[in-house]
Amino acid sequence: MTDLAALETAPSPRATPGQSIYVTSPEMKRRNAAETRFRAYGLVAIAVSLTMLAIMLFTILRDGSSTFFQAKLSFPVELSEKVLDPKGNRDPAEMAKVTTIGYAKVLASALLAELERQGIDLGELSDKEAAELISKDAPGGLRAMVLDNPALIGTTIDATVLAGGRIDGYLKGRVTMESAQLDSNISPEQLQLADRLRTAGILSSGWNWGFFTNPDASDQRPEAAGLGVALIGSAYLMALVALMCIPVGVAASIYLEEFAPKNRWTDAIEVNISNLAAVPSIVFGILGLAIFINFAGFPQSSSFVGALVISLMTLPTIIIATRAAICAVPPSIRDAALGVGASKMQTVFHNVLPLAMPGILTGTILGLATALGETAPLLLIGMVAFVDNYPGLPLEGVLDPATALPVQVYSWASRSDPAFIERSNGAIIVLLVFLVVMNVAAIWLRRRFERRW
Amino acid sequence: MKDMRMESRVDSTVNKIEARKVQVYYGATHAIKDVDVDIADRAVTAFIGPSGCGKSTFLRCLNRMNDTIAICRVEGQILLEGEDIYDRRVDPVQLRAKVGMVFQKPNPFPKSIYDNVAYGPRIHGLTRNKAELDQIVEDCLRKAALWNEVKDRLSAPGTGLSGGQQQRLCIARAIATQPEVLLMDEPCSALDPIATAQVEELIDELRHQFSVVIVTHSMQQAARVSQHTAFFHLGHLVEFGETGQIFTNPKDPRTESYITGRIG
Repeated sequence: MTDLAALETAPSPRATPGQSIYVTSPEMKRRNAAETRFRAYGLVAIAVSLTMLAIMLFTILRDGSSTFFQAKLSFPVELSEKVLDPKGNRDPAEMAKVTTIGYAKVLASALLAELERQGIDLGELSDKEAAELISKDAPGGLRAMVLDNPALIGTTIDATVLAGGRIDGYLKGRVTMESAQLDSNISPEQLQLADRLRTAGILSSGWNWGFFTNPDASDQRPEAAGLGVALIGSAYLMALVALMCIPVGVAASIYLEEFAPKNRWTDAIEVNISNLAAVPSIVFGILGLAIFINFAGFPQSSSFVGALVISLMTLPTIIIATRAAICAVPPSIRDAALGVGASKMQTVFHNVLPLAMPGILTGTILGLATALGETAPLLLIGMVAFVDNYPGLPLEGVLDPATALPVQVYSWASRSDPAFIERSNGAIIVLLVFLVVMNVAAIWLRRRFERRW
Repeated sequence: MKDMRMESRVDSTVNKIEARKVQVYYGATHAIKDVDVDIADRAVTAFIGPSGCGKSTFLRCLNRMNDTIAICRVEGQILLEGEDIYDRRVDPVQLRAKVGMVFQKPNPFPKSIYDNVAYGPRIHGLTRNKAELDQIVEDCLRKAALWNEVKDRLSAPGTGLSGGQQQRLCIARAIATQPEVLLMDEPCSALDPIATAQVEELIDELRHQFSVVIVTHSMQQAARVSQHTAFFHLGHLVEFGETGQIFTNPKDPRTESYITGRIG
């Protein structure tokens, strides 16, 4: 024991002179143990974060992937002229007088006729209850189709219409016989009919394009709700944010990094840019509401105002990333350019920026990716509204009311019907796919620009 | 390497640059004190001295590279052919096209070999067409003794060359703007002896066309390539004269101590 104590007081890892190097000294063992422990901590930390990520992705995929499939009813529909164009002159104004109620009757009788033709028993259901299997959104779609193409009147078309949200839920396992007994919107008998329709091939599940193209839908018809408006809104947002942020951010960074004198003013600006990056996003929302909507009078809920607010938020991130990229360019390159008589601006644009480009692009795309997922400021400027009209084409379209992907996730998640929760998760998947695409683009651009030299 | 001291009789008595009472301050630090130096045209002038003596600082005054350092302040007079380069009317960018510079560490642009050399002529608009530019690039690479090594891969990146080749590429780039004075800040300190010998031979070639100023840590190098030598110590110009005289018969005891290895 005394020998060991003596060794421990000696700080040298070489242990006692003359000792064989085959024998690890206690001090060395202690240091090796510390290193092993540190590696273990690191592995545990990575394992924990990967597990959390896996759980999150698993939950979202489990709850959301069913969104991409949708129950549909396919049956022949006779578009009788007697009902849809009573005067028979194909006058759009006259045809428009037939409301969706009229089309609902056409669909209902067509479905019942098909059931009778195939000899499917309605059981205890009335005709009206049987027709409730058709989505409340279907007549509107059929009406739009007929008004677009009046030549269809008088023909029999093979229509594929949305099934009701509960039937969709039944096919996905969300609605069961037990839950239907407690549900005023659906009865177990209707579900049994759905089973028979499925066997007959009338009811089937298919890829849900409507989820990407439809606008939002009311609480009564979750099966029709889609991301159409949100996707357009997010696309406008991203385009405007990129247009506003990248030139301003890069120009500001170049000025601050290469041209600005180092004095108290530039120090103050630097500190404030860093502070701006740390301001909670909801504060930018309030600012946007006060300045862009109440003061400047831009239309609320528009992607233009959303883009202004998000630009304010993204700008500091882009400036910080760009400055770091410019700063990382070795000063010898600047010396070289100045030494052959390049002006400051030539030095920056010919030599510094190309070298900083990978870093600038990565920082900018990651900043835009954050902007794509930003929700809070958009809530405050009214982009959380129920918007079922597509915004127009640019440029006027950016002033039309729109929503954005993350806001759509939020608004669906706060509705009561479980079908909306499913769609909320589906929208998260779409959002995540966009984010992954943007990050991959950032990596790809970085590689591409770095590979040049 | 043949010894240049034997032929160090000055080729030209015309002074290209005359510096008078030059003071350089870095903030509160007085880095260069009262330096008077005449740089002869078409000759090599070497600045020697221990680290931190101010020779590089003084060199960077000659093409106003010190302007890029915010806290640096230069006083006194530096005349290039009788014109004060620190005059308010002088645009430093234009000055640097006349007074080229080669740096300690080879710093080719991350562009092709061709574009490295063509960069100066392009930004100064020295050529009217591609053929002229090609000619300048070839001439400069030949003068820099690099042409034969790179003529088949002019579009390859300049950063892919070896250290010695990179430095010769930087020299080619510097002379492509057709400067009148070439400043070299320890151009061989990052090179091996073979590359150093090539660059030294090159410097001897270049002095027929340019006025060359070279900062070096190697006294052998100063003795080999220069006709005039200035010895700096602690910000003072201790002694300035013909290279042969400085190395064989120094007047100042500090110079003698330095070249015999007692201070430095």
